Amino acid sequence: MTTSAGNGRVLGRLLGIAWEHRARCALILIVQVLLFGLSVLGFGWTGVAMDVIRGALDAAAPAPRWPWGIAPPGGLSALQTVCGIAGAIIVLALARTGLSVASGFLIGDLVHGELVPKIRARVYEKLQDLSFRFYDKNDSGALFNRVTSDVQHLRSFIDGVLIQSLVVLLALLVYGSYMLALHPGLTAACLASTPVLALITVRYSRGVLPAHAQMRDRFDHLVLGFSESVHGVQVVKGFAAERTFLGDLLQRNGDVRDSQRSIFNQLSRYIASVDLLVQLNVAVLLLYGGLLVARGTLTVGQLMVFAGMLAQLTMHVTTMATIVNTLQESLIGASRVFEVLDTAIEVESPAHPVDVPLVGQIRFERVSFRYGDQDAVHELDLELRAGERVALFGTAGAGKSTLLSLIPRYYDPQQGRVLIDGIDVRQLELAKLRQGTAFVFQESFLFSNTVAANIAFSAPDATEAQIERAARLACAHEFIEGLPEGYQTLLGELATNLSGGQRQRLALARALVRDPRILLLDDPTSALDAETSREVFRALDSACHGRTTVIATHRPQLLARADRVLVMERGRIVQQGTHDELLARDGLYRRVHLDELSGWAEKAS
Amino acid sequence: MALSITRTVTLREDDHRPLSLATLRRLYAYTRPHARTRNILIALVLLRAMHLPMLSWAAAAVISGPIAARDIDGVYQGTLGFVALALWAAVTFYYRARNAHELGEAVIHDMRADIMRHVFAMPIGFFQRQRVGSLISRLTSDLEAVRVGVKDVAFVGTVQLGTMLGSAVLMALYDLRLFLVVVALVPVLTWLVRRAQGALLAAHRASHESYSRVAATVAESIAGNRVTQSLGRGAVNSEAFAEQIELHGALNVNSARRAAVLLPTLELNGQIFLATLVALGGYRALHADIEFAVLVQFFFLTALFFNAIPILGTQYNQALTAMSGVERVFDLLDKQPPWRDAADAREIGAIAGHVRFESLSFGYDPKRLVLHGLDLDVLPGQTVALVGHTGSGKSSVLNLVSKFYPATSGRILIDGIDLASVRADSLRRQVGIVTQSNFLFGGTVLDNVRIGRPDASEADILEAARKLDVLDLIEALPRGWRTQLGERGLGLSLGQRQIVCFTRAMLADPRLLLLDEATSAVDVETERRLQRALAHLLAGRTSFIVAHRLSTVRHADLLLVMEDGRIVERGTHDELTSYDSRFLELLNSEGH
Repeated sequence: MTTSAGNGRVLGRLLGIAWEHRARCALILIVQVLLFGLSVLGFGWTGVAMDVIRGALDAAAPAPRWPWGIAPPGGLSALQTVCGIAGAIIVLALARTGLSVASGFLIGDLVHGELVPKIRARVYEKLQDLSFRFYDKNDSGALFNRVTSDVQHLRSFIDGVLIQSLVVLLALLVYGSYMLALHPGLTAACLASTPVLALITVRYSRGVLPAHAQMRDRFDHLVLGFSESVHGVQVVKGFAAERTFLGDLLQRNGDVRDSQRSIFNQLSRYIASVDLLVQLNVAVLLLYGGLLVARGTLTVGQLMVFAGMLAQLTMHVTTMATIVNTLQESLIGASRVFEVLDTAIEVESPAHPVDVPLVGQIRFERVSFRYGDQDAVHELDLELRAGERVALFGTAGAGKSTLLSLIPRYYDPQQGRVLIDGIDVRQLELAKLRQGTAFVFQESFLFSNTVAANIAFSAPDATEAQIERAARLACAHEFIEGLPEGYQTLLGELATNLSGGQRQRLALARALVRDPRILLLDDPTSALDAETSREVFRALDSACHGRTTVIATHRPQLLARADRVLVMERGRIVQQGTHDELLARDGLYRRVHLDELSGWAEKAS
Repeated sequence: MALSITRTVTLREDDHRPLSLATLRRLYAYTRPHARTRNILIALVLLRAMHLPMLSWAAAAVISGPIAARDIDGVYQGTLGFVALALWAAVTFYYRARNAHELGEAVIHDMRADIMRHVFAMPIGFFQRQRVGSLISRLTSDLEAVRVGVKDVAFVGTVQLGTMLGSAVLMALYDLRLFLVVVALVPVLTWLVRRAQGALLAAHRASHESYSRVAATVAESIAGNRVTQSLGRGAVNSEAFAEQIELHGALNVNSARRAAVLLPTLELNGQIFLATLVALGGYRALHADIEFAVLVQFFFLTALFFNAIPILGTQYNQALTAMSGVERVFDLLDKQPPWRDAADAREIGAIAGHVRFESLSFGYDPKRLVLHGLDLDVLPGQTVALVGHTGSGKSSVLNLVSKFYPATSGRILIDGIDLASVRADSLRRQVGIVTQSNFLFGGTVLDNVRIGRPDASEADILEAARKLDVLDLIEALPRGWRTQLGERGLGLSLGQRQIVCFTRAMLADPRLLLLDEATSAVDVETERRLQRALAHLLAGRTSFIVAHRLSTVRHADLLLVMEDGRIVERGTHDELTSYDSRFLELLNSEGH
């Protein structure tokens, strides 16, 4: 929960956003005032019509009083007047319909045509640039909500809170002042309950809030439990634990129902009290208004006008419950959106980048990098020749992935610098740096799009020939041709599924489409079994050719093919040399290989 | 082409279905356990439906009666009567609303429980063909539609209909001719409502579909953000998204505009009627055809009458939406399991672990066999390692031994008992499973281990870890046994997850262990500990392992080399490496 001071800041910013759209908001409110005015006039004339009829039937009845003194010319018969009023009501109604439609259009255009797309685009753009560190910290479901529902909640402050509460205020003003002009005492009596109504409304929406929060938590808990047990159904059934899991879920299901009960009680009490208050207002009107009519201070028509307006007013006042709820939701949503927008972009492109084509020589100068207080890379010095093929070897947490991530600036080192062709990577334009240093991850994410679009991901303008060339380099062309629709085959949840090896080769093709000088691979075969890894080895051989390649790996086949192997331990390079040299030397590398691989090697050879 | 980030293939589910009497009857049956609430509710609904026209009538009667006649005593009495009526109406309203909500909730609570029971009773094959998302929709959005259906459509709808009828009767009694004019406007109004709502619905659907495209783009952009950044495509994505979101915005504007037309049009109708009332009613009143009081009554009653029409229209649409939700839920509940234990299946009883295959064949689709006539005899306590390429049938063997699937032909005997004749759950209570993905649930490490044996004490759990010699590794976790895991075991490394899964299986102390080894590499030290733990875990139980590690293969009592659903070689590691075997070929091809 945000603090009230935090709420104040968020509120200020929201008002700022509203101010950006002040012209449109003002127009919407002006239309509303006109609508209320016309509505008052309609009520007024209907009342007059009643009085005219009554006057004609009952000579003792008081003369009709025209709203705002707009009276027809004298000498008209009662019937003519009544028909005239009927005509006027239709004209008014048409005008009102036009204005209400216009008002709806104005709000819709502002909210859906401008506010939401604009904020969503802004959040999305920001998300594109936020650092890997940000993504390490935030879970994807929450980020998804930032762009979707949180933005909707934010904008509801404009139309659901700001405009709505001004509309309620205007309704009070317009109807209230007309009623006051008719009869101040009766107005006061009829509106006496309005503060009570507002009070119970606000109290209700506050009171029901914790119950709602509890219910939502319990419901999330239920859905999460269900989805997990479906995902892990093999474990549930494998251990014959269905009964335990089902029992737990049924318990959660019951909890949801129980927490609803208090909400229902509060809700029912609230709507019934509002209903009662509205009816009591009518009773006040009947009593006090009736006495006034009896004394001749008020006409029957005016009494009916009062009744109609009172109904309109109460309708507006009761929307306050919704407004208060919306306000709370919009504050929470907005603070989440602002949090993303305010997150600093850690890695930014320099203002004046050095623009030179990359050759592929890489140098680390006393580079240190920490995650929190944990050293991942420690005062590391390293020099890679252009076109060299280097393998990184070491246990989990030795710093291999970090070393790789520092080259394309997924993170910036706290100390030292990384240079490509003698230029600090921080001086290069970020997009160009990254396009020049293609990266293949442990598990490759492919987008739900065609094979061709996935390969051309970094180069949307790539030609078919370029795409095919990259696919051939990654040894992917043949299996792609074998897919149902070749390069146009759709990938994704409901489309063709690829094997792990095929996915990795597509990822490699995607990395190669721009023909980068530097290729970085973070354990690209770790998620593959031995058999599918083999497909990838072949692909790597052709892909590495003519590029500086750095690959973190455990696989002996890949280690053996490298020009040089760097053995890492606790953020440092502890050994280096070719695979054979390292095996000949005593040290971590040999120890591990003897342990792990001698068995296979001796039996297999 | 390449500019779009994703291309979604949407499998649209109908969001509206016509009303079906059979479905309604089945839904109504769900209220049977709550018959008392339901019957009280029906009474309250009928009462409430009468109260609304009565209130309007009373107000009009006081105005046109004592007030117009300037009868002060009459005004007092009339108002008093009105207040009494209002109080009665409010109390009725409170109980009606509360009961309707509670009945709606009770029904969906029961349906949700039915869904969960039904899904849990399904054999594993069902889950392979079911998207988790769609199961969750049954539980959430579809049942939400049902709730609205029960609570709003059934009860609010009835109240509104009753109100309409009540005011119609009153108006007809006051003046039939004037009432007929009101009735004449109904078809026009209904036609308008249906037309506008039809268009609104189409617009809603279009923007809903466009939203699912937007959502897919956002979800994938977040999941694939590292790829995007690594390839420097952020700016292109932002541009593509801005375009998509603008398009989506335009559809939303369209549907907002259609909604904005609907209500004012309905209000216009009310106003036109008002004008008609003024002119026609005025004419007749002036010619003394009707009394002034009738005019006043119509002024109040028509408002009630016309207000009900748009509400009923909305409710009709909601009913259709609810109908599609209800039917999808019933479709799920009606889905028969692809197979079930024989009716006379019995408990298998305590087993020793002697496993025998007799010309065992199996196909997930019986027409396409993936295992062909396997024969095998495994003595209690033996470790069997299965090796072979992906798709050679190794995992299917595991699926059959655990009776996740029934054999298509041939038999599996455990301790001489045919699995076809036993209840799957009685077998699985004596089976331990470690999946390749090392699946863990949200909750603590302790909770996860306890799944192996829900009644285990903490001491039992510690003992299981001690037997595997992994107690130090688990206690070294940030909060030891109480370490909170995120969704699907998030927060633990792969090696740690394997250790927890091993402990879980150890706690279950199964006679039969089924293990699909993880392929992913973990670091050397963890690997060594894992292998040691595995050796402890295997000791003294019959085990089937889909093997990816040399040490596992070497320690197995029996090695089965599988190819295309057949066992092509069997023997010990030493035997199979003593000649030019398929096993050696396999080793070489994997480059070890």
